[in-house]
Amino acid sequence: MKNNYSRLKWVALIILGGIIFFLSKSANAAIISSPLLQQHEISGIVKDEKGISIPGVTITVKGTSLGSVTNLDGEYTIVAPENGTLVFSFIGFKTQEIDIDGRELINIQLEEDIAALGEVKINAGYYNTTERESTGNISKVTAEEIEFQPVVSPLQALQGRMAGVEITPGGSVPGTASTIRIRGINSLRDEGNFPLYIIDGVPINSSPVETNSMIGNAGFDPLNNLSVSNIESIEVLKDADATAIYGSRGANGVVLITTKNGKQSGTGLEASIYSGVATVANRLDLLNTEEYLQIRRRAFENDGVEPTVNNAYDLLVWDQDRYTDWQDFLFGGNAETTNANLSFSGGSDKTFFRLGGSYFSQGTVYPGENSYNKITGNLNLNHSSKDDKLKINFSANYGVDMNDLFWSNSLSSSTVLLPPNAPEIFAEDGSLNWEEWAVSDLENPLAGYYNRGRTKTSNILSNLGLSYRVLNNLLVRLNAGYTYFESQELMKRPGRSYNPAEGEPNNSFHLNSHRRSWILEPQLIFNDSFGNFNIDAIIGATFQDNTNSQLRFQGAGYVTESLIGNLDAAERVINASSQTNQYRYAAVFARIGTNWKKKVFINFTGRRDGSSRFGPENRFSNFGAIGAAWIFTEEELIENALSFLSFGKLRGSYGTTGNDQIGDYGYLDAYEATPGPGGLYPVSLANPSFSWEVNKKLEAALELGFSKDKLNLGISWYRNRSSNQLVGYPLPAITGFNTVQANLPATVENSGWEVELSSLNFHTDDFRWQTSLNFSIPKNRLISYPGIEQSSYANTYRIGHPVNISLLYQYEGIDPETGLYKVMDINDDGSFDYEDRVVIQDLTREYYGGINNNLSFKNFTLQFLWQYIKQEGIASFFNAGRPSNQRDIVLDALNSNEDFQRISQLPSFSQAYNNVLNSNLPIQDASFLRLKTLSIGYNLPESLLQSFRLRDGKIFIAGQNLLTISPYLGLDPELSYSNTSFANLRTLTAGLQIYF
Amino acid sequence: MKKRIKQIVVIFIASILIGCEDFVEVDAPDYKIIRDDVFSSEETAKSAMKGIYNELFRTSFSNGTQYGVTVLGALSGNLLKNIRETNLTRMEFQQHEITPENTSNLFLWTSAYNMIYITNAFLEGLQSSENISSEVKNKLKGEAKFVRAFTYFYLVNLYGDVPLILTTDYKRNELASRSFPEEVYTQIILDLEDAIEVLPDDNNISTQVNKYTAMALLARVHLYNQEWLKAEELSSQVISDNSYVLLEELNDVFLANSQEAIWQISPAGRGAATTHTNEGNFFIIDPVFSFLASVKLDENFTENFSEDDLRLSKWISYNESLNAYFPFKYKIWNSNEQPITEHSMVLRLAEQYLIRAEARLMQKNFTGAIEDINTIRNRAGLAPLSNTDNLETEVLLDEIMEQRSKELFTEWGHRWLDLKRTGRYEHIWENNPLWEETDLRYPIPAEERIKNANLTQNPGY
Repeated sequence: MKNNYSRLKWVALIILGGIIFFLSKSANAAIISSPLLQQHEISGIVKDEKGISIPGVTITVKGTSLGSVTNLDGEYTIVAPENGTLVFSFIGFKTQEIDIDGRELINIQLEEDIAALGEVKINAGYYNTTERESTGNISKVTAEEIEFQPVVSPLQALQGRMAGVEITPGGSVPGTASTIRIRGINSLRDEGNFPLYIIDGVPINSSPVETNSMIGNAGFDPLNNLSVSNIESIEVLKDADATAIYGSRGANGVVLITTKNGKQSGTGLEASIYSGVATVANRLDLLNTEEYLQIRRRAFENDGVEPTVNNAYDLLVWDQDRYTDWQDFLFGGNAETTNANLSFSGGSDKTFFRLGGSYFSQGTVYPGENSYNKITGNLNLNHSSKDDKLKINFSANYGVDMNDLFWSNSLSSSTVLLPPNAPEIFAEDGSLNWEEWAVSDLENPLAGYYNRGRTKTSNILSNLGLSYRVLNNLLVRLNAGYTYFESQELMKRPGRSYNPAEGEPNNSFHLNSHRRSWILEPQLIFNDSFGNFNIDAIIGATFQDNTNSQLRFQGAGYVTESLIGNLDAAERVINASSQTNQYRYAAVFARIGTNWKKKVFINFTGRRDGSSRFGPENRFSNFGAIGAAWIFTEEELIENALSFLSFGKLRGSYGTTGNDQIGDYGYLDAYEATPGPGGLYPVSLANPSFSWEVNKKLEAALELGFSKDKLNLGISWYRNRSSNQLVGYPLPAITGFNTVQANLPATVENSGWEVELSSLNFHTDDFRWQTSLNFSIPKNRLISYPGIEQSSYANTYRIGHPVNISLLYQYEGIDPETGLYKVMDINDDGSFDYEDRVVIQDLTREYYGGINNNLSFKNFTLQFLWQYIKQEGIASFFNAGRPSNQRDIVLDALNSNEDFQRISQLPSFSQAYNNVLNSNLPIQDASFLRLKTLSIGYNLPESLLQSFRLRDGKIFIAGQNLLTISPYLGLDPELSYSNTSFANLRTLTAGLQIYF
Repeated sequence: MKKRIKQIVVIFIASILIGCEDFVEVDAPDYKIIRDDVFSSEETAKSAMKGIYNELFRTSFSNGTQYGVTVLGALSGNLLKNIRETNLTRMEFQQHEITPENTSNLFLWTSAYNMIYITNAFLEGLQSSENISSEVKNKLKGEAKFVRAFTYFYLVNLYGDVPLILTTDYKRNELASRSFPEEVYTQIILDLEDAIEVLPDDNNISTQVNKYTAMALLARVHLYNQEWLKAEELSSQVISDNSYVLLEELNDVFLANSQEAIWQISPAGRGAATTHTNEGNFFIIDPVFSFLASVKLDENFTENFSEDDLRLSKWISYNESLNAYFPFKYKIWNSNEQPITEHSMVLRLAEQYLIRAEARLMQKNFTGAIEDINTIRNRAGLAPLSNTDNLETEVLLDEIMEQRSKELFTEWGHRWLDLKRTGRYEHIWENNPLWEETDLRYPIPAEERIKNANLTQNPGY
């Protein structure tokens, strides 16, 4: 280890030394060797077809790296040789080349490119490409689509927008981590399926942030501290060609987030604000008091059991007329959202910046005062030397957020099912009512009501990019990143929040987490042409160090509630634990891109990776990919034969990526301190020999453009196979623990089709209508697992079926004699266990997609996105007779017993219900069509803008989840295996955006 | 130019390759101690044994909560009744209708095998260690073997055939099948005999295992296996040690470091602010918060006490609002006070008298048996039995069983295990329609059988 640091120092020194050496050498060389051309200054204005000046147009001198950008008034100046050629390019416009011919003033008009496919730049991580030339599969979402969505994490804004990308919200509390799956589940472990997140070139730990708060298991999303409105684009890399350059971390895909950049010279100010409110759109149809009591009375009649205070408190003790709608009580509130952004950009053509800030707040639908607040700031700075050889880019994003939550686990689904005549929450004196609940063996559903939790996090993400063009075709680049995430959580837990039996003193729970990482990536970038053969190459290395630490402790025995949290006033500090984990990662990578006449492309990618998460023998591994594309419409023969095509490309890729997402130090056989004083004990089983999970990706795709690229269609087929599965292998408890980290000899396959279609339906001066559609048919299968019968997964997975399944009993009907639900006893042994679970229920989506429409008419814009998912779900709560509320359909059981078992409060009926809940009976269609987003905007007219001295302005109203069409009976079909969970709040916001 | 590019590339790649290999090596974090290091010094090895004692207070089967042997065994033995019938997990134990999915049963099983792992790991680590003096090594080995035997004793008595796991090798253990009770008992006896041989007889600290602790448990094991002579010999050795005393004052029996205690588990192991025992917290019905109570003593049991039995007045209390009797051996319902005043009792002297009484009786030593019974009766304030009454073996055995139930109620499932081993359950449940002979063994948890196809289920489930 000591050795290690000194080695590292040497490596850094050698690299730096090398760079400095060549910088100095070539700087001299540059001055001497550059040809003495007649340089002169050219200026002008760039306008569009309507004569409106366009800011931000890039002007370069062809064949050089010299460049400039137009300012807010569309003006530019550039120094270029007299006989050179200027290239004007801007997204949405056709690129134009103009010969200088000795002129000093060049004004031009750019022609709008209605479907500028070729020009859309795509960030592929270490390099950029365009949609036209890309050999890999990369989906992109831009700022316009997401910037005003009232969501905490940018991931949530991607729902329904990309083929092959599934995003499932984690819950209804602001800040909860969503689940993102790119092309399905590759790893048998849940936490082994996170994609790699890269923000401005710096990788971010994508696992959710631990918390004590009521968010519970899901944790906080690590991207919360980013401002959604400060994101320029999000790219998702999916296939081998695109992901292999990330080697062992690319197996689950890569999410690249690029923040906004100062684009133009001259100064400008942009401000936007919106505000709105969110509610839970749906309710379960439950019994009211009268119906509920009727069912309960019938249960005792049917059973011939005398209701007593002990078994029928709801009938004999509780108020028979009281009615509480527990759903309204629990989540009937309004969550308010506000967002404000301000950004300032400016500079000259060599140095420009963007400085911005934002404020975001969101409430919850739960009772009590809960709120989420976030303030972010960001700075982006670009500089290039006069000769454009040296370029520096610096970006920093800083975000603080504060999550004030009522802290308790009791806001759970069981509250929804409380009998409608259950007692009051509060006693007459205002304290929590325990007695009436306890008499019925129930906890007060608001136990913990006086607890307050506050989580403050702050996050700095910084990135410095230095590049120097050593030679005309050789660039040296160094990318350095530093991130620091800190979370401080204080939970105040006064004793009066809890059942007096627990005798809880006034407690405080403290949890401080830190995630610090740095990354250094020296790179060499080379390009050259040999006639029609072009080559681009990049060679680089990655050194990355992540240190995560966590400090937990508990202050106990505060004399009064007001002192909670002040550790000096605590009687003692207990349950302290502190952990620091280090993760290190090193790699060498190379990518060589070749093409013939920009028509045939072949790219090779390779990476050698090492990760500290594996035992000493297994740390290093190699990954690689090959990708190819052929733009066949460039072939004269085909162009003539298929003249209806304006563009046609065939592409494919194959390669391997890996996955090292498993806990640190899993290979160590180690002891930790016991909670009790002075003791040590083993906390897990150790396996020194596990290694990488390997993911082999294959893809083939066809991309077509019709009628001058007004209609573009992309169809891709993929097949990813994940083997050497790295899992927390479940073990029977007789081994001492429930799990051990190991590589399973199993292969999981994800294959599928993805279709992306974009079309410009109408395009006139006043009216424009654009539609884009994405559609995915994923298929997930466990294709091999030698020896599964003898393994502890024997009753979890089935070969040939998806990984995400549940094994269910076969429902038989209602036993006419006993009146009980009956499931099939396959082996006739009189008991029900896994041998009887023969129905294999697929829990994954069958297919899904989204259709987005953008319409504009004069000053009005309309955008709406429909999301569709075809899947199944479970609808429970039809166990009539027990003391908990049920869906109102059980009323039918009063009259007939065709659909429901006899109403009963006997345990045997509960047992039968539990069996049938694990059968195919409650499975139902949970597909849904949802109006995911809808926004209507109005661009302020020129006259108004001028009178307020605005450059541009727009007012808008936006809605989320306004309409959901689904046969599903639970609260939210997106969470179709949990009847009472919900995440997609119905939100309505209105706002204003202006540019000065 | 070509040359320069080559130069750059070569230097670049060379410098990276030097760094990569070593860069990804990281030290163990400071909150973890490598197993080999734990057993490389006496301090850390002792600390690992302390960890076992600590965990015994946290792990379900032994911690006195509603997931442990004490409560579940008392429910099965019809000593305890649920006040309300809505908690199905506990009701299943009371009604002998335990489902393989019962979560309490799962906790019981899982936690016991976790303790088996910890003791196995400890014994393996100790075995391969070279830096520990043989004196310390022997003592630690004896303690760990005792805890292993103790844990297997409950596993074999509650479940019948159980997997006999003696190593930490999960690859071998994950598919282990069940061993016959005889094999498990052979191992228990082996471990306890080893422990007796190597453990010191220093018995000042009631929370630490010593030679007498192991003898006391072995006496019980022999009793269960009807090895009367051995049971008598061992219990006699424990009884004859002067440091153990049958306390006159019943209210003092369950105090920390009580002189009657042969082994206790300290609530310090909880590692939290509260210092009461879990038994006290679960059994005691606080007059103010009576609505929070979960269980009470079965009326059929409390009715059996004669009025002048001190154990009725001192170890049993009554709550008027619930009309419920509850165990009052532990006096503290809830406390944050330091120092800790009550420990959770596991083995105590009274049981040794009852073991010897039974062992003597079965060897036809009536005088000796009656003498031991009278020791217990006397302490409880009851009149002694007379030797001259010419009592039959059956009658005396009934008396011993009755004293066992009154003396050891709601301690470590004694009643349930006694009913099982003596066959006396038959009279109690013969008219209960829910009772079946197969209810004598708890079910192997369903989840466990999903993961290990070699684990068979007990009949009747």
